[in-house]
Amino acid sequence: MPLLELQGVIKNYMKGEQIIPALRGVDLSIEKGDFLSIVGPSGSGKSTLLNIIGCIDTPTKGKVLHNGEDLTILTDKEKTYYRKENISFIFQSFNLIPVLTVRENVELPLIIEKKFTKSEIYDKVTNIIEIVGLEDMADRFPRELSGGQEQRVAIARALVKNPLVVLADEPTANLDSEMSEDIISVMQKMNEEIHTTFIFSTHDLLVQKHAKRVIILRDGMITSDERKNHENTD
Amino acid sequence: MRTLIKIAWRNVMRNKRRTVLSALVISVGLSIYILMNSIMAGMDRANIDNLIELSTSSIKISTEQYAEDKESLPLKYGIPFADQLLAYIKEQQHVIGATPRTQFLGQLSNWEDTMPIIGQVVDIKSDETVFSLDNYLVGNYFTGSEENEIMLGKDLADEMGVGVDDYITLYALTRYDSRNADEFHIVGLLNTTDPNINLNTVLISYDTADNFLDLENLITEIDVALERRVSFSQFTNDVDELAQSIKKEFSELRVETFTELASAFLGITEQKKIFGSIMMLIILAIAAVGIFNSVLMSVYERIREIGVLRAQGFERKEIVGLFIWEGIFIGILGSLIGVALGCGFNLYLVIQGFPLDKFVGFQNSGIPYWGTLYGEWNVGAIIFAFCFGMIVALAASYLPSRMASKMEVTKALRFV
Repeated sequence: MPLLELQGVIKNYMKGEQIIPALRGVDLSIEKGDFLSIVGPSGSGKSTLLNIIGCIDTPTKGKVLHNGEDLTILTDKEKTYYRKENISFIFQSFNLIPVLTVRENVELPLIIEKKFTKSEIYDKVTNIIEIVGLEDMADRFPRELSGGQEQRVAIARALVKNPLVVLADEPTANLDSEMSEDIISVMQKMNEEIHTTFIFSTHDLLVQKHAKRVIILRDGMITSDERKNHENTD
Repeated sequence: MRTLIKIAWRNVMRNKRRTVLSALVISVGLSIYILMNSIMAGMDRANIDNLIELSTSSIKISTEQYAEDKESLPLKYGIPFADQLLAYIKEQQHVIGATPRTQFLGQLSNWEDTMPIIGQVVDIKSDETVFSLDNYLVGNYFTGSEENEIMLGKDLADEMGVGVDDYITLYALTRYDSRNADEFHIVGLLNTTDPNINLNTVLISYDTADNFLDLENLITEIDVALERRVSFSQFTNDVDELAQSIKKEFSELRVETFTELASAFLGITEQKKIFGSIMMLIILAIAAVGIFNSVLMSVYERIREIGVLRAQGFERKEIVGLFIWEGIFIGILGSLIGVALGCGFNLYLVIQGFPLDKFVGFQNSGIPYWGTLYGEWNVGAIIFAFCFGMIVALAASYLPSRMASKMEVTKALRFV
């Protein structure tokens, strides 16, 4: 059984009286450990698809199944709980909490989960901060970091709770190519080591180059779904 | 919870200028309330002190008949066994003095003008143990060395164009309803804080009144003074207990406490308290708008942050909690500053007082008080102000917090 399955997902937005279709019947299966890149021009529905998978948006029609359970019929509270347990987001503009330090930002998802003791949280956060290479920056605030460092914190924050799926919306859009390479390699390492599923929405060719699977979305429909059978790490 | 508080606190500290401005709105509201409360309590206390020390005393005793007809101040109903009653009262706990008084109606004339007056016959030996007229005396108190000594309210003397050592004619009906007039030597004037005394009261001694009013030691009232307590309610308890005890012992007499005698005035005091509460509500409503605005601005500034938190799994109630904590911090800060400012100003008011007469100059304004007004400490009002400030902060931050929590995650994340 796939980790996630989208069946005939349609999403329309209303602009006044006008219906704007964002997704026009998307069928998609996502396996555990996928390193999947969704590409396509602006307005093709990439972000909408990511938001629906992440349960922060609801499809107009169709189903999103997780282990056979339809996520679209969950209440707001149930969706919040589902996200807390299974989903992490990485955003184009990092979106760190400016008043929290690096360590506190990364701690946040674990604190929300309310499952771990203080020392467990400390150990997990220390470990993930080391993995993303920010051990010397743990007590700094986001304003004291470079763009690349901020995105590393965002990745650490996304990965610290060991989610089933990490949804990354244009994670390298605000970074130069060197930093982008750096960030992708961190995510790739996590994917290989702990088999976290990554789904990217991106224009970045570099991300596409590293992806194991590339889906092309055009006018709200999947026009191509290509699975690469080689490991590409450069 | 700790994380929510931490985020809220740091956000409050991050926007220092906005936080301070919002807190100042509350603090100004609260300090005005504390000060107003102090001034009103001080005014009430001063008025009650005036009443007790200048007119009603703590307890006034008369016969039932006299009490029923006291508007006309009849010289008919003397207290029987007055000496026995005075002796009994002086033995009681907390009593610092008791004195007889007999009131009468009359007219004062300077041969050109005539003014109606209320006369008070006083016992020159014991009157000062109950009434503190000597504090307001211009000239001398009764010497007792000559007949026909009189003391007048200062405003009355001014109206009549007379002063200390002048002579004036007093008309009155005697105990037997015969008209009498005599010339009196003015030994002193009373410039009290009670405009009524200043404008229409004359005092003569029992020795003088025996001849002038055929009084023959008729005593219509006995006034009692009790020692003052720091706690006003303790004082009223003492007064009530003594009044009960006298009633029990002398059941044929009317025993009235100052609270009964000044019920109309105390009723006005209660109305003033309601008025004060309405003022407080208005002031704090303005403060509430300040906090509402501050939290709302904070919400708008951090819409993306709200989106991120919601995407990470923050529940709606946790988002509400986050902003409410910000409101609470602003409330605590504002309330603390407000209480500190209010107490600071009040300390000055309690020690130095406020020269009311210099600012208002209203001896004839109808308000039974003038002079320097001193503030009163009211711990209850200070605690109430602090708590109310907090509640206002909480209520004012709830609405924008709820708005923040209701925001759609995708819209919040797209917000620029």
